[in-house]
Amino acid sequence: MKFNDIVVQNILRDKWTYISYFLSSVFSILVFFLFSITAFHPMLAAIDQNSTLGITMMFASFFIYIFSFIFIIYSIFAFLKKKTKTLGTFMITGASMKQIRTMIFRENMLIGGAAIMTAITLGLIISPLFLMIAKRVLQANTFGMYVPLAAILLTVVLFSILFLIVSKIITRFINREEAIQLLKADVITEKIIASSPVKLLLSVIVSSVLLLAMKLQFTWVESLGMLYYIALMISSLLTIYYIITQGMLWIIRMKIKGTSYYRKTNMLVVSNLKAKGRSHAHIIYLLTILLLGVFLCTSVLYSSYYNVKERTESLYPYSFQYTSLPGNSLVQERQDITYIQSTLNKAGHYDAYYSAFKTDAQRRIAFMSVSNYNALAFHESITLKDDEYYVAAGFQGVRPAIDMINDYAVPKLQFAGLQEQNILLTGFQNVYYILPDAIYEKLDFPVYKVFAFELQDWTNNIDVAENISATITSNQDTHLISSKIDLYATEKFVKSIMFFIGFMLSLIFLSAAMSILYFYLQTSLEGEKVKYAGIRKIGLSMREVSSVVTKELAMLVFIPFTLASILLACVMLAMRDYISSTFYEMTAIGISVFLLLFIGSFFIIRRSYLKKLLDVQ
Amino acid sequence: MSNTILHVQQLHKEYAGEVVYKALKGIDFQLADNEFVAVMGPSGSGKTTLLNCISTIDRPTSGIITINAQNPYELNDDELAKFRRNELGFVFQDFNLVHTLTVEENILLPLALDSVDIKDMHKRLANVAQLLGIEGILKKRTFEISGGQKQRVAIARAVIHEPSLLLADEPTGNLDSKAVNDVMALLESIHQTLKTAILMVTHDAYVASFAQRVVFIKDGSLYNEVRRGNNKQQFYQEIMDTLAFLGGGQHEI
Repeated sequence: MKFNDIVVQNILRDKWTYISYFLSSVFSILVFFLFSITAFHPMLAAIDQNSTLGITMMFASFFIYIFSFIFIIYSIFAFLKKKTKTLGTFMITGASMKQIRTMIFRENMLIGGAAIMTAITLGLIISPLFLMIAKRVLQANTFGMYVPLAAILLTVVLFSILFLIVSKIITRFINREEAIQLLKADVITEKIIASSPVKLLLSVIVSSVLLLAMKLQFTWVESLGMLYYIALMISSLLTIYYIITQGMLWIIRMKIKGTSYYRKTNMLVVSNLKAKGRSHAHIIYLLTILLLGVFLCTSVLYSSYYNVKERTESLYPYSFQYTSLPGNSLVQERQDITYIQSTLNKAGHYDAYYSAFKTDAQRRIAFMSVSNYNALAFHESITLKDDEYYVAAGFQGVRPAIDMINDYAVPKLQFAGLQEQNILLTGFQNVYYILPDAIYEKLDFPVYKVFAFELQDWTNNIDVAENISATITSNQDTHLISSKIDLYATEKFVKSIMFFIGFMLSLIFLSAAMSILYFYLQTSLEGEKVKYAGIRKIGLSMREVSSVVTKELAMLVFIPFTLASILLACVMLAMRDYISSTFYEMTAIGISVFLLLFIGSFFIIRRSYLKKLLDVQ
Repeated sequence: MSNTILHVQQLHKEYAGEVVYKALKGIDFQLADNEFVAVMGPSGSGKTTLLNCISTIDRPTSGIITINAQNPYELNDDELAKFRRNELGFVFQDFNLVHTLTVEENILLPLALDSVDIKDMHKRLANVAQLLGIEGILKKRTFEISGGQKQRVAIARAVIHEPSLLLADEPTGNLDSKAVNDVMALLESIHQTLKTAILMVTHDAYVASFAQRVVFIKDGSLYNEVRRGNNKQQFYQEIMDTLAFLGGGQHEI
């Protein structure tokens, strides 16, 4: 028997030890592969790599890759732990550490290779379905099937590298003493959580200082830049870790001291908790972080998806805005307006507004008469006295300068008020100064005529906008046309992709959380089975077993959920000035949906776990 | 004869499979109050099956078992668990201790499940710990003590609620000869001080010679029984002789 035969037989004869590791690897690779299929879709090639969307896409795939990396490392560790005893046997029979390492390395590479192939095959089988869903979500008709060569290549290369590195590194973690120890005693109990109040205190202090610094906008926060955020992330992660482990320890101690310790099944629950405190705390920590990821992804990305209409309207107030520049001929203008009106007529009811302004084109400072201002829709009409002026914004979200009017040869006027919402399309002019009609007439700047149209039910008339935009194209010298319908369509597409990414990410996090929990329960199942079978012989009813298991499972499922919700609430509280009400609404809906999902999966997990646990043979 | 604590009538146990295997073929058996009985027989004779049926771990195919005038198979799962905790004590070959609990907690587990008053609990614990000589290891975890100590702890757990019947399945199977003597001496003294009826399955003639009566099973039926007289040595010899008749007895010792 050659060395490689041992490696292969090791895997084949002990399939069930390897299967969970194999499956979690397949899962991670599959998710990455599906995402790459989307990311490399020919249709998405149109997206500029430097646009927000392109960067988000890149960031997301990077993120998924990192995540897969961590997830695979996690499963490899869990797997190695399960195998330590077998390794001990090998060591006793005389295998050198080097041989053991080579064996583990080859085993991992074999499993990794098989996982990559399986994932890609699976991916190719389900990708049509997946792309169909993507097509629906993205509302992109051209999102058809294609041969994802680039995605296959990328997945194979990246994950081969990953497995190579992981397998190489992991062999360093094989602990000779632990393996031999395991041979002597079947149950080595894990270390109980160490009490470390200093670390807890330190991490809490560091995190609070960092957070406070951001809140108070210290200068060094900005100068540190990215470094600051990395430090903040690490310290928050550590803080959460210590809060969970130390909190767990504290609860266990309280429970043991408490009077109800010797009541009914409490002793079993608490001692179980104490014995497995460390791994329980680690699982709770992992799940909390993953869930926080899910919550943030859903809240941020879904709410941006549902905000599109409002945001579009604030950027481009009108369905169509035709701006006739001084260089435009009257004939051309007439012809364009007639075309727009006749096209809109066919589409449905619309309102037309006519306005005009004079502008200092160099500084993009515009002047508008009160009558012209009042002729526009979407803002309150105003009246001005002869010695007053009014200011209206040109940029969305930017407070206009109110005193630049003084740079111009107009009589001294009093500031009468401010309209912070941009009255015409954003960014066209920096600011509009609204003047009494008589003063406006005397100004010597070129006149820009504005024809604005508001179509009813505009969100459903994207084809109308496409028609008009195709016929009338903007010309720098003569006329400009802009449409919120067009913008809406593009934005909608971008947000759909964001939504899609968010959906993918939360899906990944959620299934990762669930599979971590599943593998965790699986690994401990055998030992628990023996234990409960023993206690049942002494006289523990099914109901009592189920009560112990329910408490333990509920802890593993709902503590992370609660912690993640609290953390999310903290994040939202800290950012309350920057977020809209839609965000709260979406978050509440999202969390309720997840809560339902969790309660459902809790009962399913509990049921199947109990069934396996009480299954005699 | 005094009151019977255990009454077994026409007990049959069949294991379904491609070929139905009859493990017990109609056993009639009685155990008196405060009696110490050992069950012996070659491997596969059905002695452990008998014990499992009596201990309510394995449901018999037919026949009646009454323990303290109660038929445990008429109880539902909750009642059965309570019945085991109150009426029965178990000692197993593999000790069957819960490794997440300390020695003390293991012993108290049956009482805790019944929500016995804490003061009462600790009083009983002190008594039983003294009887078994394990006062010094109460705070230890189960993997920190030796096999002999583990079996003592298991016995302590089995008797702390003063069961009517103590069931022992090869209680010395995992112990060295020194520990065997210790544990058997303890069982004997429990039998005498607590007046507990004991039913023990073993394949070791020496261990069996601690009992008052040895019942032999062969191929799922009762074969013979031997009662102890005044001389333990002679009793041991009788057991050995019977085992020789049964076949396969000698080399199993």
